[in-house]
Amino acid sequence: MINVSHLTKKYHRFVANNNLSFIVNDGEIAVLAGPNGAGKSTAIKCIAGLLRFEGEIEIGGYNNKSLEAKRILGYVPEIPAPFELLTVWEHMEFIARAYRLEHWKERAELLIRRLELDDKRDKMGKELSKGMQQKISICCALLIEPKVVLFDEPFVGLDPHAIKELKAMLFELKAKGTTIIISTHMLDSVEEFWDKLLIMMNGRVEAERERRFVEKSGENLEELFFQITEKQPSASSKTEGTP
Amino acid sequence: MRSILYLLRKNVKNGVVDTFRHPLKLIVYGLLALSLVYAVIRGFTMEVDINDVLDQRILYGGFLALLYFISIPIMLKGISTGSTFFTMGDVNNLFTAPISPKKLLVYGIGKQLATSLFLVVCFSAYGSMAFKLFELSVTSALLLVGGIALMLLMVQIVTLLLFCLCSTWPSVSRYLKYFIYSLAVYALGTTIALLFRSGISLENFYTAIAQPYLEYAPLIGWVHGLVFGLINGNGTAVWVYGLLLLAGCVVSLVVFWRTRPDYYEDVLQSAENYYEFRESIRTGNMTEKVMLGNKKIQLRQTGIRKGKGATAIFFKHMREGARRSRFPFFNINTVVLLGITAVIGFAMKQFFSAPKNVTVIYIANAVICSYVQFFFSAAGDWVKELNKPYIFLIPDSPVRKLMMAGATSIIKPFIDGAAAFVALWLIAGGYPTDVLVCMLTYGSFGCLYISSNILAQRIVGISGNRGVFITFYMGIMVLLMIPGIFVGILLLSAVSADWTFMSATILGTPVLVWNLFISLMIFLLCKNLLNNIE
Repeated sequence: MINVSHLTKKYHRFVANNNLSFIVNDGEIAVLAGPNGAGKSTAIKCIAGLLRFEGEIEIGGYNNKSLEAKRILGYVPEIPAPFELLTVWEHMEFIARAYRLEHWKERAELLIRRLELDDKRDKMGKELSKGMQQKISICCALLIEPKVVLFDEPFVGLDPHAIKELKAMLFELKAKGTTIIISTHMLDSVEEFWDKLLIMMNGRVEAERERRFVEKSGENLEELFFQITEKQPSASSKTEGTP
Repeated sequence: MRSILYLLRKNVKNGVVDTFRHPLKLIVYGLLALSLVYAVIRGFTMEVDINDVLDQRILYGGFLALLYFISIPIMLKGISTGSTFFTMGDVNNLFTAPISPKKLLVYGIGKQLATSLFLVVCFSAYGSMAFKLFELSVTSALLLVGGIALMLLMVQIVTLLLFCLCSTWPSVSRYLKYFIYSLAVYALGTTIALLFRSGISLENFYTAIAQPYLEYAPLIGWVHGLVFGLINGNGTAVWVYGLLLLAGCVVSLVVFWRTRPDYYEDVLQSAENYYEFRESIRTGNMTEKVMLGNKKIQLRQTGIRKGKGATAIFFKHMREGARRSRFPFFNINTVVLLGITAVIGFAMKQFFSAPKNVTVIYIANAVICSYVQFFFSAAGDWVKELNKPYIFLIPDSPVRKLMMAGATSIIKPFIDGAAAFVALWLIAGGYPTDVLVCMLTYGSFGCLYISSNILAQRIVGISGNRGVFITFYMGIMVLLMIPGIFVGILLLSAVSADWTFMSATILGTPVLVWNLFISLMIFLLCKNLLNNIE
């Protein structure tokens, strides 16, 4: 579970995240949606423990900066940052060693095979395309069998097969009870599997919806998204549709 | 062409506006301008004693060296078809626009020359001192400045030609490069040959740098010959070199307009590399791609093989080091240190040959090598680690992560120190304790540089302003090294009055102990550095 409470992130006078509060339960996929500059990536980085912030964030009941939280957290950054002189397989080995994983090889094999990296296992990070580097980031995040995974724009740069495979992985993680947050500005890419939608604008969560209520009410999410992001005041309703 | 002129005009205008928006930049430019004005005023008003007037042959040789300095790098850039005349913005916007590649080339090389022109302005300002030192007339001084301007113009024309030739026929680029190198080799060779023939002395050196053969070198020598022909009233030289330059200029332009250059592909690759390089300097994020360039990396052994938790970071660095070089801790830095040590050792042992005096050589070598090490320590493994999220995410103690991330950067100076001071011992002899203390002291400065860097990162922030960071880093480093050196000097003054007997050991021990102690303290106190990426 992820519990974000009154998260505020400021860069000098600029407020990137303004008093965000939300909960994502076990086995739920929450989507942080919003236009460029809405504060999605900043929120993800705060939850990952990479940025300083005001407020409280708990991951699996632990403070997000604690070692316990780090052990169960997987993070796929927006810009892939592989180690340029390590091979694909060595990335797996490094993560396994750094996280003290046991019996990881079979899982690593499966991950690199599913993301079609198996013929690139001896290629170094610097030799790979941006899309391949993104796949390494995904493998590294999922190798640790995380209880919580944060994806920052995960579909950008991936080929259609990898997108299909990643979606399948998301369903599997969800079925296993993993808590997932995905940041994206492309609603189409997440429409099959979202459970909770948080539409962000100017650093705030302007609307929060749950799938079960939206399915009952028949609300059109795309219309809602554009109403909010194109600043039509009538649509902004943070709690509408939430229990 | 109108679009290019528009672009240039807007670039200049926006550059000026941008400068006014950045007060620090404005202050730096202001100080630079003031120093240039001061240099000009000082040059024209300084009183020079008749005995201090310099030999005219120095002006002759110095001016030729300046012309070489201006022209050779630009011509070499013209040869490498992957040159850096263009930015990524130029590539993305201008190369796709309906503008002739030749006009774009004029634009690219013109921009390059604008940078060189700035250097020439600086040289000319300080050249006003030459006005008095060489007792030049105003006409002669103006002719020298005009000569530099002519050189820049000629270089632009010739570089256009070289660039077109190389992009049209790539195979000729190697021969043109040899030709440009041969210009420099010719000047050096004739100077050295004359020096050896007539014997090594200052007088013969002046004669060698002023010999007329140097003016036979195409382009550079011709400009020199024309300028000094005008200064000395040598009509033959003026006509000969003037006509040669005119002919060279006409031929270059004719060939340039007749070729069909196709350089976009080469430029695209180099512009991307150059963009990455500039970005990495701006952000302080030196990637392997930038550092290693096109060097082919040998995979050799694979696998990290050792380490759990934070120690996996250290063994990862070892594997990466083995990829960069077959001998991970022995690289170009070690070679430079050995070179410095050899020069210091051989030069100083002439004066400090008595056994007990050799210790002074150790102090000199330790001071110079430790200073040089500062420049080596800028891009350690641990700095690169901070640019990726993994070190922040790994579930292990922050102190252990920091120690392990810095371990290779800490070990390296100790190995370099051992190589340098053992080499010095072989050259100059000396006490074993001096060798041991100096190698450890050199290594301890490595620890001090890393810990100063960590402390500066902690204060300014990992993603903070690079200029502010470097200022903090250097300030902190100087402050941290003072106590050890101060105690060392006190101890040396108390123990050894003439600063000779085992001075390196006595001076070095407190420095070594202090550096290691304060570095350890900083590592422990700055563990929160890995709390967040900011």
